[in-house]
Amino acid sequence: MTDSHEKQNVGEDIVTPWEVESASEKGVDYDKLINNFGSKRIDEALLERIAKVTKKPVHHMLRRGIFFSHRDLETILDLHEKKQPFFLYTGRGPSSEAMHMGHLIPFIFTKWLQDTFDVPLVIQMTDDEKFLWKDMTIDEANRLAHENAKDIIACGFDMDKTFIFSDVEYISQSAEFYKNICRIQKLVTFNQAKGIFGFTDSDSIGKISFPAIQAAPSFSSSFPQIFGDKTNIPCLIPCAIDQDPYFRMTRDAAPRLNYIKPALIHSTFFPALQGAQSKMSASDPTSSIFLTDSDDEIKTKINKYAYSGGGATEEEHRAKGGNCEVDVSYQYLTFFLEDDQRLKELEKGYTEGTILTGELKRELTKVLQKIVGDHRTRRAAVTDEVVNQYMMSRKLKFDY
Amino acid sequence: MSHVGSDVGVRGSKEQEETRVHGEKPAPAEAWVGDHLPSHTRCFAKLTRPLLRLKEYNQTDIFLEDDINISEKIGKIGCSGISEQDKDLEKVESLKLSEEIQASGDVADTGEDFVSPWEVHSSSEAGIDYDKLIKRFGSSKIDDELTERMEKLTGKPVHHLLRRRKFFSQRDMKMILDMYEKQKPFYLYTGRGPSSEAMHLGHLIPFIFTKWLQETFDVPLVIQLTDDEKFLWKDLTIEEARRLAIENAKDIIACGFDVEKTFIFNDFDHISKSPAFYRNMVQVQKLVTYNQVKGIFGFGDSDCIGKISFPSIQASPSFSSSFPEIFNGRKDIPCLIPCAIDQDPYFRMTRDVAPRMGHIKPALIHSTFIPSLTGAQSKMSASDSNSSIYLTDTDKQIKTKINKYAFSGGGATVEEHKEKGGNCDVDVSYQYLTFLMEDDDKLEEIRKTYTSGELLTGFLKKELIDIVQKIVGEHRERRKTVTDEVVAQYMTPRKLKFDYPSPPVQTPGKKKKK
Repeated sequence: MTDSHEKQNVGEDIVTPWEVESASEKGVDYDKLINNFGSKRIDEALLERIAKVTKKPVHHMLRRGIFFSHRDLETILDLHEKKQPFFLYTGRGPSSEAMHMGHLIPFIFTKWLQDTFDVPLVIQMTDDEKFLWKDMTIDEANRLAHENAKDIIACGFDMDKTFIFSDVEYISQSAEFYKNICRIQKLVTFNQAKGIFGFTDSDSIGKISFPAIQAAPSFSSSFPQIFGDKTNIPCLIPCAIDQDPYFRMTRDAAPRLNYIKPALIHSTFFPALQGAQSKMSASDPTSSIFLTDSDDEIKTKINKYAYSGGGATEEEHRAKGGNCEVDVSYQYLTFFLEDDQRLKELEKGYTEGTILTGELKRELTKVLQKIVGDHRTRRAAVTDEVVNQYMMSRKLKFDY
Repeated sequence: MSHVGSDVGVRGSKEQEETRVHGEKPAPAEAWVGDHLPSHTRCFAKLTRPLLRLKEYNQTDIFLEDDINISEKIGKIGCSGISEQDKDLEKVESLKLSEEIQASGDVADTGEDFVSPWEVHSSSEAGIDYDKLIKRFGSSKIDDELTERMEKLTGKPVHHLLRRRKFFSQRDMKMILDMYEKQKPFYLYTGRGPSSEAMHLGHLIPFIFTKWLQETFDVPLVIQLTDDEKFLWKDLTIEEARRLAIENAKDIIACGFDVEKTFIFNDFDHISKSPAFYRNMVQVQKLVTYNQVKGIFGFGDSDCIGKISFPSIQASPSFSSSFPEIFNGRKDIPCLIPCAIDQDPYFRMTRDVAPRMGHIKPALIHSTFIPSLTGAQSKMSASDSNSSIYLTDTDKQIKTKINKYAFSGGGATVEEHKEKGGNCDVDVSYQYLTFLMEDDDKLEEIRKTYTSGELLTGFLKKELIDIVQKIVGEHRERRKTVTDEVVAQYMTPRKLKFDYPSPPVQTPGKKKKK
């Protein structure tokens, strides 16, 4: 929506919480981004440590560099080793009912984190943000928050360990949450918000002050019903890397509030079906696989729209091979095909030209049909009552 | 920014700050420059119109010689894109012939006077020229026709503060009186920014008048304590700000508001208890741009985002939908806001967004300022003890302060005074009597004899001392009876003694305005 502080010239990637656009076919240059943002790459050594500390193999998304960057992840691992608590925080901006596979990524991974580390999780539904940025009423935004919560719950989060909340509801329920919001708002100037998010003078005062609301759940004192009087339990935030600006701002404010800086673990972007340079949009059904797509729709979309890195003809493909880096079907498989071995085979075969685009797409179709199908089934079981249970402000199963 | 006339309390009274604006002409010690307002942005306070509307002005109005930043702004106006939201604002704006637009300048800088929510001073000994101010702000003068109508409708004389035009300006009072005439409901809303425990006489004035309004019209009253504002603007913790709010609530309750008709709340507690209140806040926040608050309140880029969005919190109580327990969910009950004139910008902004939210614009009734003890060029301020009479002052302190510090318009010597007479316009003791003495005839007698020189300053001051000791003394006594339990009663969100039929059920397809 507005020019990002990070945007340099034409030809550069644009990465802000509201706009992601890459300059190249291959997508965003993540090395440059890590550099720009000042985060750290998750390297082999760190992966090994995670496996060691958790005593199990790391999730394939970590292995494959989909979650690829972090801040202070080592600190979280230190804590876990010492059996000291931390909690998870992630969120969704409920802009439409149409959730797609890309939206699932952080939630799939966060569930794995919750299961692996056995920690509480808070999930923020930023209905106020959507209201402020889009042409909708508060009621509508709040309704979407509840609807989207069903998809999130269908990812399988443990009810005894998970609190989902809508901003509009929780702010007008929780004195501690609102106080933290004010404390953060006192510490962030318009200049800073402008620099980080690219706000301009013609933006509403609601937008300008919103970042404090996304920052506040990083602090355990915002949830006294969960953490009691423990105001300084550290937080790990899994999110897509475009959300990082919010948390750079939060980490900047935290010490001045005598709070611990939240740790982060960033994911890459999920490409649109038509390729890394196009945009995924809830209003363009051909831009992604939606969680409500039927098996047929999935098959059609992948066949028709998934950008192919293969040769223009079969001969050319067998001769020169396919380009996995730009092939969207292959990219999708890296996100969703759990079997490392099979993925490697596909990569090798496709690159050499022995595996054709059609086969790749068939494989992907199968994988996605299963995931989406399972999701649909689980979602059907999530009633309004179930949503209310997750969204009720309450003590979780953890004692502090 | 202060809820009420800058940082302190009751609308209109200002807390004195220690900092001074650079390049200001030498002001008396009690100049209030918001310490939150760096000098170079002070001039923005003069630009109380949204910068987008600059095109309606003669451009030369804007070029204040020592403010380079304004020129910068002007350079930006008219070229960079106006957002969709502001285009809508312009469309709406152009439809109204309202007083908000017609005024020749919010800048209320008449050359001699300067009035903004954080700063009020005059270079004239006689104080602010309120006629000029009304023209600037685009409000309407309260005239005899209005007060006569009020007396006719209510069957009793108007309060002396109104009679003497201490409440002198208004917006939409006619609408309120029309409602009253038709026996339709309205409510009162006023507030205090609780920056210190030191409340003074100046703070009492709007509360005294509001109490009279409540009794006369028999309507509910909501009182907002902006502890979040104080937290944002001052070096206070949240706990301290909340504590001050509760302490100040006691003084307010001691003014004698009817517990069955009055809801007092502090922002920190209420926002996190009231979905309806918070929703209205967010709606206002969506409709007001940074440009607008910059123009109206003089915020600058180095202000924190909390300050920048705070005005939405002061706007929210103007809408009856913010208080569903009181108004049974009704959103169509209009509001009358008694406040000092320097608070007007907040409510010009509120009146601007109200129609876009499907709400009625709040009506206003503005008071003048009670001058500082040391002269009408400044206002009473809580941090300068020589400028104010505190509600905690003893009889002796009151006597001493008035005798020692109250600026006198009398002659330099008794002889000179008897010969030339005294100047009531600048005499602070006389001015205070115009606020506090109920008896019109007695006041007139004093005015005549002081002007003629017959009445000496000493006697004038004695009159005032007697009245002030009585007022402050009675207040002190009543305050003692206000326990924490009593405070809790006033501050519990609850239905008051008024009943309102439920609003009509909205059909599902009907959307609320954004």
